[in-house]
Formats: sequence, structure tokens, C-alpha cells
Amino acid sequence: MNQLFRLIDVDVNKIVLVKEISAGHKAQRFLADLGIHEGEKIRITKNDVGPIIVEIKGTRVAVGRGLASKISVLMEE
Amino acid sequence: MNDHSIEHKIAFLGNPNVGKSSLFNLLTHSHQHVGNWPGKTIEKKEGHFILSDEFFSLIDLPGTYSLSARSDEEIVTRKFITEEEPNLVCIIADATRLERTLFLAMQTMELTKNVAIFVNMSDLAEKNGLTIHPKDLEKQLGVPVLLVSAVDDTSVLRIKKFLYDAIHTDKYEFNPAMMMYSTKIELMIQSISRQIEDRGSCTEYPTRWLAVKVLEGDESVIETLEAEYDLTNVFDKIKVLAKSEKLDLNVELSKSKYSALHKIVASSVAGFTDFQESRSDKVDKIILNKFWSYPILIAIYAVFFLITFYASTPIINGIDLGISKFSFLVENWLININSPAILTSLIVNGIIAGIAAVLLFIPIIIIFYALIAIMEDSGYLARSAFIMDRVMGKFGLQGTAFLSMVMGFGCNVAGIMATRTIKNEKDRISMIITNSFLPCAARLGVIAFLTGIFFEPWLAALLMLTLYGFSIFLVLASSLLFGLFFKKSDPLPLILEIPEYRRPRLRNIFHLTWTRAGIFIKKAGTFIFLASLFIWLMSSIPFGAPPERTIAGYLGRGISYVTEPLLGLDWKMVIPLIFGIPAKEAIISALGILYSTGGSIIEVIKASWSIPQAISFLLFQLTYAPCFASLAAIRTETKSWKLTAIGFFYPLIVTILSTTVVFQILKLVI
Ligand SMILES: Nc1nc2c(ncn2[C@@H]2O[C@H](COP(=O)(O)OP(=O)(O)O)[C@@H](O)[C@H]2O)c(=O)[nH]1
Ligand SMILES: [Mg+2]
Repeated sequence: MNQLFRLIDVDVNKIVLVKEISAGHKAQRFLADLGIHEGEKIRITKNDVGPIIVEIKGTRVAVGRGLASKISVLMEE
Repeated sequence: MNDHSIEHKIAFLGNPNVGKSSLFNLLTHSHQHVGNWPGKTIEKKEGHFILSDEFFSLIDLPGTYSLSARSDEEIVTRKFITEEEPNLVCIIADATRLERTLFLAMQTMELTKNVAIFVNMSDLAEKNGLTIHPKDLEKQLGVPVLLVSAVDDTSVLRIKKFLYDAIHTDKYEFNPAMMMYSTKIELMIQSISRQIEDRGSCTEYPTRWLAVKVLEGDESVIETLEAEYDLTNVFDKIKVLAKSEKLDLNVELSKSKYSALHKIVASSVAGFTDFQESRSDKVDKIILNKFWSYPILIAIYAVFFLITFYASTPIINGIDLGISKFSFLVENWLININSPAILTSLIVNGIIAGIAAVLLFIPIIIIFYALIAIMEDSGYLARSAFIMDRVMGKFGLQGTAFLSMVMGFGCNVAGIMATRTIKNEKDRISMIITNSFLPCAARLGVIAFLTGIFFEPWLAALLMLTLYGFSIFLVLASSLLFGLFFKKSDPLPLILEIPEYRRPRLRNIFHLTWTRAGIFIKKAGTFIFLASLFIWLMSSIPFGAPPERTIAGYLGRGISYVTEPLLGLDWKMVIPLIFGIPAKEAIISALGILYSTGGSIIEVIKASWSIPQAISFLLFQLTYAPCFASLAAIRTETKSWKLTAIGFFYPLIVTILSTTVVFQILKLVI
């Protein structure tokens, strides 16, 4: 069951492992500076309408839906 | 600047919201000075304290997440660190988010040895059950680490003593642990370093740091180096490496730093629990709820505007009464001592009226920005940007643009300055140019005054809301319009840190209010005062003539040949609008001077304007021109005369068109 999901398809409160971010360079680098990059675990704290919010290293970061759809993650069990 | 022979330069650096300003304020108290970084529209905050007769100069560097060259803030920061060579760069970290906030320390330690780390918010960490061992951090990072808290006054003394000792004794070691990357990357760093060294360094930056930045693809570093020598073969190698590994080296380097940090933090902190629903998460279930967020936002902002309006009214009335009494006393005294009529008029109608115009707007501005500070310090302001992101997105804008609009309702100068947080150039310029559409406190005064004269309270309130709504519509529609003229660039998607909710602190609120209201009082104050003098001059020359035969009178009558048929604005209505160009506060005082002939101003105005004329006037003054202080702000923020000219003429043209349409329709209907 090592299926990849898009971040926007993940339910709230799930903890996932970031696998790939296929966004523009600038966005990728900004995310990396905030600690969001391949191999890092994040928890989704909000995902309904509008930007998604994820918890990373004890902080909350809002990510636009467009960008979130370009982040592929792996479910953690 | 100071008469202390010994001066130490200390820089404060940190992520947003780590309590950097709080510590800075505690250390420097009122010994602060806010300016701009040369050539940049970024605030430069400096302050100082004196210890043992030595002068410690503190610089509050802009809050930033990293030291790459993605934003002006980051460029300014690293330039400062290398070129001004501060004695010490203090990284402020947040004990509750250590990994994230130490990332900047890792980057800074590549740039300079003189780094100290203040782990702030230790009180919160303790409350959350975290135990932090600063000695362990110190050992692994190789630089001094201090556990502090901005809510605990002993921290200030400890910090001062630390700074003194760090400079004067060998008590502390500054051997930043060198960040080691993967073998492949290390080999690249060595090869680039060698090439840079072979050619002799052309900058103050450390070679290893330059090499790392070249690998990261840092444009500003590469530009500097390329100006000196040919680096093509270096880039070819980097490209090959990046391709073979399918990596973005920039991301790769950040990743390495974070994984090193993860180990360091894990071994120095006990009690950290990831991935648990925090109190803020629970509150956000409601505040950011997909159904409730909008009604709550509207309610909060409605209460915010109502308080601003109603709390300031009695204060303003009090000041108004005081000033008219004072002005009456002065006038009588001047008449008694037989001062020439022109001097009496200058002092009473020019100078005192000018000071009054400034004073009258201070309470409303202070209350407005105090309430904003409460929202900001509690964490709601950042969330309102988040909530509005969806709405703003429909107009091609991001949620942060909403905040500059909110600020603009107080004073457009503050609104224009608040556009600095907007990342996309097109959005920023569009929001700078259109901020003056939004009625500031001065125009709120005009709107409240005139709607009160002509309409029942409920109709007045409705009209007021319509005017506000229309001004917001113009800002948003203009953004769509401007979008057509800009190259479609790939906008940076929304990435926004959402802070934890905090209990607002009086000290912060006081400070935030003071800085913003201070902008109005200092900058706008001068303009308003000078404008009042100017108005007096225009409406008094030739001295003793009736209003219609003064310079202002002739000007107004000339212009009214066009505006009367088109917009319904006769010469007596045109003059206040002309005087309102430099400062909107002048509109009411000019109305006062022109309509005070025989009886109450309210009655006279009510008798001389038709309803369509009144609405036309209200609509016109709402958006027609930015005040001079705003124009100056547009020029400073855009650094372009062309955009400043657009900032003046665009609102004027839009206003003439929209008001003409509305007036012509009203004339037919009413
Ligand atoms: N409990 C606690 N709150 C703090 C501390 N330092 C700052 N704060 C709060 O954190 C928020 C952000 O502080 P500020 O100084 O504006 O952060 P800056 O963005 O780094 O300048 C404010 O609400 C402060 O009251 C601290 O040591 N303890
Ligand atoms: Mg600050």
C-alpha cells in the first residue's frame, strides 16, 4: 500500500511523508527553508476549502491549493 | 551620534514572530530610531543601550526565514552582516519551534563566526513541558546559547551582561560547527572554493559560503563573481551533478541543514511532542471553519470599525471644543493688543486651524491602529489574510493584499507601506497605486459629516456602506485591469506561516500603535499643517476680498464651468476639493470657511446642495486623489516617478468618469 497521494487529497489529521514537490523553483526553495521537503513528515491540520494548513516541526504553514496539488505524499501508518 | 568612545555593533536576526522586536524593545526602550535601508523600502530599526559607559548599538534586522537572495530583506541582511561587520550577530530562536528557528542560525554561521543564539520564549516552552539544555546546544553548535524570555525582566540583565562579556572576555567560544554536506556536494564545494581562491577573492564573503551559494544558484552571488571571472565550467559541472542526481541543489542544501539540526535538537531538548492538536488548532476549527470564517471575519471587522468610530467621536468633539475656545481667546487677545488684521487672521485661521486639523485626526488614528495591533498580536490578523485569500484570489491577488487594504482605512500612507509584505510585484504595485481609493480616517470624517446632514441615520449608514463597498470594488477591479498590462509571470503561490494564538500584550500594542500612528502624526501632520497654511493663503489673497474674489474663488469658478454641468459641483463645492488634494482633512475646514456665512454650516449646506449634488460630492471626494503624503509614499515605495504620476491621474480619471455617470443618472431619477 505504498501509494502516492496529492497533498490536497489527504484527510485532516493524517500524518504523511513528503515524497516529491514538483512546483516552481522559488516555491520549492521557500518550502525547503520552512522545512517542507522530500523525506519530511507533516500533519494536515486543515483541508476543506481555501489553502491547506500543515504542521511541520511544531509550526503551522498555509499552502495554496494549487501548490498543494503538486506535493506528492506517502501515507504513514 | 554619541559621545561614548567605545561603540559595539550588535545585530538581531530571526524568523518572524520569534519575539525579536520584543527583546529589542526591552533592551533599548525608547532609544530607537526607525529609518530605511539605503535604496530599499525596508525598515531599518536601530536602538542602543549604555553599559559601563560603553555604547551598544543594536540593529533589528528584518524578520526572515533564510539568507538566500530571494527578497530584499534577505539581501539587506546578509549585506549588513558582511559589510558592516557587527561585533556580534544574535540569532533569536523560538524555544517552542527550535528546529525551524535555528535554521537561520545554521545559515548565518556559514557567513560569520560571531554568532550568538538567544533561545526566546523559554517561559512558553516550560509551560508546554519542554526542557531545553542550552549547554548541549552550545557544544554542538559551537557558539554561545542563552535561554531567555521577553516576558521575564531578568532576561534583559542576562543578555546585557552576556553581550558585555562576549565582547570583553574569553568566557565564550565562537567556533561555529561547520556544516558538512554529502560527499558529492562537499567535493563540489571544494572545487568551487579552489577556483574562487585561485582568482583572488573579490568580495568580503567567506569563500566556503560563496561556494555554497554558487551551488544553490544564488543569483546575486553568481552575478558578483561573474563580473570578475568566468565561471562557465563551474556551472557546467553543477548542472551535470544536479541532473545526474535529479536534485535541486538549493533544496538539497536546506535539507542537509535541517537533518543536522534535527539531530542536534533531539539530543538537547526533552519533551517535544510532534503532531498533536494544539490549542490554536482547536480554536481554528471555528475561526478558520469553511462556513463560519466569513461571518466571524465580518463581525470582527464590523466591531473594529464601530469601536474606532464611536470611541473616537467624544474625544474628537472634546478636542474640537477645546480648540475653538482656545482660538477664540487668542483672537480676542490679538484684537485687544491691536495686532494687524492680517496677522490675526494668519494666526487664528491659518496656524491654529492647521494644528487643529492635525489634532482632530489623532484620536481616530490611534484607536484604529491600537485595535489593529490587538488583532495582530493575538494572531487574528494573519488569519484574516488566510481567510481572505480565497476572495482575493478571484481578483488575482493573495490574502496578504487584504492587510494593506485594512491598514489603508486608517491612513493610506500606512496602507501603502503595508504593501511591503506582498510578494508579487504586480500585486504590490497595483495595491500601492489603488490604496488611496480606500477612504482613510480623514474621508470618514467628511462622509460622516455630510451623510449626517442630508439623510436619515439608517439611509446615511447605508450610503456609507455603499461608498466603502464601492471603494473596495475599485481597488479589486483595478487589480484585474492592471493584470492586463503586466507580463504574465509565474506568481509565487501562497506560503504563509500561521502563528499560534497569543494573549495580546500591552507593551506590544503600545509599541505597534505608536510606530504606525507616529507615521501619521509626523509625516501627514506636516502635510496637513502646511496645507492648512496654503489654504489660508489662497483664500485670503487679496486680503479682505469676499471668498469668490480670492485666488481660490477664481480658480473654483474657472473649474466649475466644466464640473457643474458634468458632475453638479459648483464653485463653492470645487474649492474644498482642490484644497483637499494635498490633505483630505482640509475638505471639512474649507467647507467650514466657505459655508459659514450667516448661520450654521449644516443649515447652509443643506439649503444650497441638491441631493444629487451631495451624493456627487461624496462620491468624488471618496476616490479622486491621493493626498501629498500618500503620493510621497507611492514614490518611496515604487521608486518611480511614472508610477507616482499614474498614482495621481488614474484615480482622478476613474473618479471623474464614475461620478459623472452617477450624477447624470441621479439627475434624471430624482
Ligand atoms: N510568552 C512569551 N511571549 C513572547 C515572548 N517574546 C515575544 N512574545 C510574544 O510573541 C509575539 C511576537 O513577538 P514580536 O516581538 O513581535 O516578534 P518578532 O516578529 O520576532 O519581532 C508577541 O505577541 C509577543 O508578545 C516570550 O519570551 N514569551
Ligand atoms: Mg518584529
